[in-house]
Amino acid sequence: MKLQAQVNGSPFEADVPAASSLLDVLRGAGLSGTKEGCRVGVCGLCTVLVDGRPVSSCLYLAGCADDADVWTVEGMAVRAPSVVGAFVEHEGMQCGICTPGQVVAVASMGPEVRGEDAVRRYLGGNLCRCTGYGTIVEAALDAQDRRGVPGPT
Amino acid sequence: MTATVRGLDVARVDARDKATGATRYSADVEVGGALHAAAVRSSVPHAELVAVDTTAARGIDGVVAVVTARDLEQRFGDELCGRRMRDMPLLARDKVRFTGEAVAVVLADTRRAAEDAAALVEVEYRDLPPVLDAPAALEPGAPRVHEAPWRYDGAVVTEAHHPNLQSEVVVGDLSAAQAALDGAAHVVTATYRTPSGHQGYLEPQCWTAWPRHGGGVALLGTAKAPYRLREQAAKTLGLALDAVEVEPVPVGGDFGGKGGVVDATLCAALALWADRPVRLALRSNEDLTATDGRHPATIEVRVGCDADGRLLALWVDAVFDGGAYAAAKPIPSVNLHGMEECALAYRLDAFAVRSRIAYTTTMPKGHMRAPGAPQASFAIESTLDELAAVAGVPPAELRRRSVLADGHRDAYGHTWDEARGAETLAAALADAEQAGSASGSPNGTRPVPQGWRRGRGVALYARPTAPPATTSLRLVPADGGRVVVEVPIPETGTGSHSVVREELAAALDVDPDRVEVRQVSTGLLPYDPGVGASRVTVGITAAVRELADRWREAGGAAPVTVETGAGTERPRISFCAQVADVAVDPETGQVLVTRLTSAVDVASVLRPRAHRMQIDGGAVMGYGFACLEDLLEADGQVWAANLSEFRLPTAEDVPELRTVLVEGGRGVGPSGVKAVGELTNVPTAAAIANAVADATGRRVRHLPLTAERVYWALRGEADDGRWRA
Repeated sequence: MKLQAQVNGSPFEADVPAASSLLDVLRGAGLSGTKEGCRVGVCGLCTVLVDGRPVSSCLYLAGCADDADVWTVEGMAVRAPSVVGAFVEHEGMQCGICTPGQVVAVASMGPEVRGEDAVRRYLGGNLCRCTGYGTIVEAALDAQDRRGVPGPT
Repeated sequence: MTATVRGLDVARVDARDKATGATRYSADVEVGGALHAAAVRSSVPHAELVAVDTTAARGIDGVVAVVTARDLEQRFGDELCGRRMRDMPLLARDKVRFTGEAVAVVLADTRRAAEDAAALVEVEYRDLPPVLDAPAALEPGAPRVHEAPWRYDGAVVTEAHHPNLQSEVVVGDLSAAQAALDGAAHVVTATYRTPSGHQGYLEPQCWTAWPRHGGGVALLGTAKAPYRLREQAAKTLGLALDAVEVEPVPVGGDFGGKGGVVDATLCAALALWADRPVRLALRSNEDLTATDGRHPATIEVRVGCDADGRLLALWVDAVFDGGAYAAAKPIPSVNLHGMEECALAYRLDAFAVRSRIAYTTTMPKGHMRAPGAPQASFAIESTLDELAAVAGVPPAELRRRSVLADGHRDAYGHTWDEARGAETLAAALADAEQAGSASGSPNGTRPVPQGWRRGRGVALYARPTAPPATTSLRLVPADGGRVVVEVPIPETGTGSHSVVREELAAALDVDPDRVEVRQVSTGLLPYDPGVGASRVTVGITAAVRELADRWREAGGAAPVTVETGAGTERPRISFCAQVADVAVDPETGQVLVTRLTSAVDVASVLRPRAHRMQIDGGAVMGYGFACLEDLLEADGQVWAANLSEFRLPTAEDVPELRTVLVEGGRGVGPSGVKAVGELTNVPTAAAIANAVADATGRRVRHLPLTAERVYWALRGEADDGRWRA
């Protein structure tokens, strides 16, 4: 089938088999920042934004992204520079394989995600085996601060 | 060398690329014209291979070939593969020995075609009796997994041993230990069990190989020890060492799991066989079922103390399930050095450990972050609490009375001029005591439901920091007063490349921005043993100093290469004490770890954040081992065969982590550091199990501490096997 969408703010067209995952289509188009992990939708490595919502692109049929506004980690320096900056500054990473998904997930947080407890719950779908999560949560809290989201009262 | 925390916390060299998706890992590197390989994997644990029918598979569009062991043998001979002991074929020959073993490989133009075709290969098996339990595998008359394992290259057993023995290590004096136990005022004997696990790195293994123009093969992939991989791949393929070149690429998580050589060598063989580039990328479920996981253990501990609660003797008898092949174990003993070193923390009059590893028809087991130590610590540190109860001494006090101190001789006969076990233990207890309810993390602040029972447990661990190991570096001048330092190891996430940049910048007195760190292929530097054994920072900082000296002597205009030998400086010992606070639901057995306090004995800290992440990440991995992780290997299958079943800790699961750095220690190497990578993941399970016992009055001797196990323990019933009943 023919897929037409916006990816990272630019028009995107691809001829894809109907059963393709969005992950495979994006990676096939050279957007290799989005990683394949568990392929069952639990590790969060492949997180991308579809119309502002974070999805596991390994389980997301590419065809469902027709006409959608898709953002991947490659677009985060433009869409969410404060999130990228917070991950760099707080070293919210070690091996880095989960980092694209973490950055995208944090970029999708709304103002209702306030405080450490909520941030940890929000990031429950993004595994990290290296850091113990401390610096990732710090980066996420800092990114929320920078966007003017206050902590819990 | 005095200790300093230098506070050098400039951004990691790899931070921005990782946060923007620009870092290219093995799966992101495309090699033009590569064929995609997909393995046909055994569906049974133990069988003779009767026939492999590839007709249907060959009919799939895009399939180029279906390769079996016979095809590879015709080209490369019948050498087996392995890191130290070579006992594993690249593809199963006459037998399969575990469910998931590669029987054949489909090569196709696309990955989809390769995977679709692999599912159509029909394998006919003649079942053999499976061998699924390690202690039973070592009983007389147990079915054999291998006909004559003592004939394998690198074997450490003889024909006189049980044919299912992979390795046996005995340290200490068993009869002296037994005699000392016989004379002890209090003795406890207990048996502990730990499950199959996995390193749980999140980047699936991925290899790409291509024939080189001048002959030989290049290999790019998830390799934590490129020079060792080169050596083993060359041996198996009958090639000269320099005919295999391992290319540089960062590694997306290792923890011991990215040192395997079998799939890498298979990929190289396929590229040479097909005379084309070949990519062999695993799916995550293949990583969990067909690589090398953590050894399950059955460990009997006997420990005794005198009437005053001073430890006298320790006897540890461990049987590990090594799985179908020993190929993934990298050390000469083909054993688990964490088991051998398990009694380092205490003064003992007598000590003996026996560590046996059995062949079974299950997934091969390899090394994972302090191999053998988490299992040993769970058993020993839990038994110490059982002994404390019998002796009427508080658990922390029992440890304090026998912990190694400055000038003491350890159970192995080595005298340490610095041994800060008591200080480390005291620091953990003091911090946990004063932590109160002040905390920022959910499990520390989240209210514990009414009726849940609270408990606290402690555990202690000690490990040595070895002197610098052999490594090599090259410094190359670049434009604009910049330099490029070429390193032999991948960045696996620990921050080693950032350490190199900052240490070199300091040694040359230049801005870190003027130093570029670049991993290079194995063709370009002399040697390095790879990432592992908590050795990288010690060895590489020593090499950096030498490199800077040579560079200055030579005037800084031409490239300089150094190859450092193994250091002769004395090792140091470092301690980690952990205190776990838990709440347990008496109705369901659910365990909530509210706080985990780690005190860590440190010398210099080069990168405080990276150091902290080793501590936090280790503690969380220890928590996963304690409470969550179990591959559920049973009946010849891995039942938890994906990351939805094999549960790793999430940000929400994590207990409140508190860390106390016990500063002022003396370290190793020119920067004076102590190992930290394999420290906080070790005592955690015992600390949590001891806390659960404190809360419930019941002892669970089998990990993980699932609600179900605790539920049955609370009701005084056996905690094993009910999930299958």
